[in-house]
Amino acid sequence: MLEVVISDLKLENPVILASGILGSKWSSLAKVAEFSGAIVAKSVGLNSREGYKNPVVLNQECSIVNAVGLASPGAKEFSKELEKLFKVTNKPLIVSLFAQSSEEFSSLPNYFPFASAFELNLSCPHAEKLGMAIGVDEKAVKDCIKAVKEVTDKPVFAKLTPNVTDITKIGIAAEKGGADAVVAVNTFKAISIDVVSRKPVLSNVKGGLSGKAIKPLALRCVWDLYEVLDIPIIGCGGISNWKDVVEFILAGAIAVQVGSAFYESYRAVEGIVKGLNDYLSYTGEKIEELVGLAHGGV
Amino acid sequence: MYCVKVAEVNKMCRDVVEIVFDRDLRGYPGQFVMLNVFGYEEIPLSLSSPKSLTVKGVGKTTKALLNSKKGDVFGVRGPFGRPFSLPSVDEKVYLVAGGIGIAPLNYLYQTLKDEFEVIAIHGIRCKDEIMYDYPEIATDDGSAGFKGNAVELFLRIADFEEKMRVYSCGPKPMLLNLYKAMKKRNLLDCLEISLENYMKCGIGICGSCVTECGKRVCKDGPVFKGIDIIF
Repeated sequence: MLEVVISDLKLENPVILASGILGSKWSSLAKVAEFSGAIVAKSVGLNSREGYKNPVVLNQECSIVNAVGLASPGAKEFSKELEKLFKVTNKPLIVSLFAQSSEEFSSLPNYFPFASAFELNLSCPHAEKLGMAIGVDEKAVKDCIKAVKEVTDKPVFAKLTPNVTDITKIGIAAEKGGADAVVAVNTFKAISIDVVSRKPVLSNVKGGLSGKAIKPLALRCVWDLYEVLDIPIIGCGGISNWKDVVEFILAGAIAVQVGSAFYESYRAVEGIVKGLNDYLSYTGEKIEELVGLAHGGV
Repeated sequence: MYCVKVAEVNKMCRDVVEIVFDRDLRGYPGQFVMLNVFGYEEIPLSLSSPKSLTVKGVGKTTKALLNSKKGDVFGVRGPFGRPFSLPSVDEKVYLVAGGIGIAPLNYLYQTLKDEFEVIAIHGIRCKDEIMYDYPEIATDDGSAGFKGNAVELFLRIADFEEKMRVYSCGPKPMLLNLYKAMKKRNLLDCLEISLENYMKCGIGICGSCVTECGKRVCKDGPVFKGIDIIF
C-alpha cells in the first residue's frame, strides 16, 4: 500500500528523512530509519568544513531559520561513520553530496560504496560557491549531475533550490543531465533580526527558511515541476503530518522528505507513516495511484 | 529568541559567576537555555535557579560572561530539554555534583529542600572552588571537607538500605563512576544524570549532540534516567 519505487530504489513507505536533520551520526540515523522509507545523511564534501559559529539555528513561529554552513567531517571520515549504520538497519541510505564543481562532485561517490543512491545538494542557500551557487545555473546543474552519473550506477537525485525565477528550468536541466529524480525543495533564503540588539540573529547573517511556513511554497514548486518533468519528484518543505504528504503526492510527488518536523518529535516520521497507512486503508488505494491526481481536469 | 537583562552578578569563586536576570525564565530544574552572548557565540547553559545561570569561564564565550554586569542584555532561546523528575515522598534525595555540574543541581536543591531530605555533595579540586555553603564538600587535595572525590563521599554517606533518588551532574569520569556504583547495586532506576555535549540547534534537529545510543542530549536529555544510558 505504501511502497513506492524511485528509479530502481524500492521504499517500504514514501517518507524519507531530509538531509541535514539528525544526519551527522550513525546512531541518530539508525533511530530515524526505523520508520522511514529511506534516510538521507547530512551533506558531505571532499574536505572537512567547520561550518558557522553559533547561533546557527533559530526556531520561530511555524518556521526555522538556519545557517549551519555545511559543517562536515569530509568524505573519508564521514564514510567511516555511515558504515556503522549497516550493522543496525537495512533501509536505503541516500548520501547527500556538496561540491564546488562537476569534477569535485564526481570524486565523491567512490567514498560511499554502500550508498543506495546519491543526492546532489544544489541548493544550500548559505554557503559560498556551494549548493545554491551551482543550483541556480542550468548548465552547471546539468554538468554536475552528468559527472556523477558517469561514475556511479546508483540513482542520482538533484535537490533543487526554490530561490530561482523559474524552478522548472532547473528541473529540466537536471532531467537532461540524467538525474533519476529531483528533490523539491531546499530552504528559502531568509534572515532574522533581533530588535533588542538590532543585529541579525544568525552568525552568518543570512540563512534558509524551513518548517510549516514554507509548505504551500514548496507544494507549488512540486506542482510546477510535475507539469514539465518525466522523472519522479520527491517533495520537501514544511511537511509535518500525513495530510501534508497526501497534498504533495496529489501535487505530483512520488515520495517526500521530512526535516523540521523533528523539532516537534523524534518520532515525527512514525506518526506520519501511521496516518498515511490509516488513510489508504480507508480509501483502499495504493499511494502510487495518487501521484499527481490533483492535476486531472485542471 | 527573546532578550533578558542582567539584574546582578555574583562571584561564586575565582572563575565562576552566577548571573541573575531580572525575570523568571520559566524553566524547570535540569533544563537549559541557549544563551546568545552578542558578539560572541550562542552556548547552552543550565539554569541554576528560575532566573539565573551559573557559568565557569572555560572558552572564549564563557570567559566573556565572567565580566558581565548589571544591565547587560543577552538573547535567550528556551528553556529546552527534559528536566529532572521529582522524587517520591518516601525517597531520600542525594545530589552528587562535580565542579560546575553544581549549576543545575542547585536549582533542584532549592526546589526540593523544603519538602525532602536532601543531601548535597559537591566535589571540587580544592577549597578555592567552593561555590555554595550548603553541600558536603569533597576536595581532591583535602583542603576542605572530605579528601577524595564526590562519588567516594557519596558511597561513604549514602544509606543504600533506604529508598533513594540520586541526581548527578559533572565531568564524565565522575558520572561513569557513579553509574557503575549504582549499577553494581542494581539501583540504576534511582539515578538521574544530566549530560553535556556540544550543541548547535538546541531543539533536537541538527544532530550535533547525539550520543552513541542515538539520544539527543538537547531534546531527549540533558537529564537521562540511569536505565536509559549506555556508557
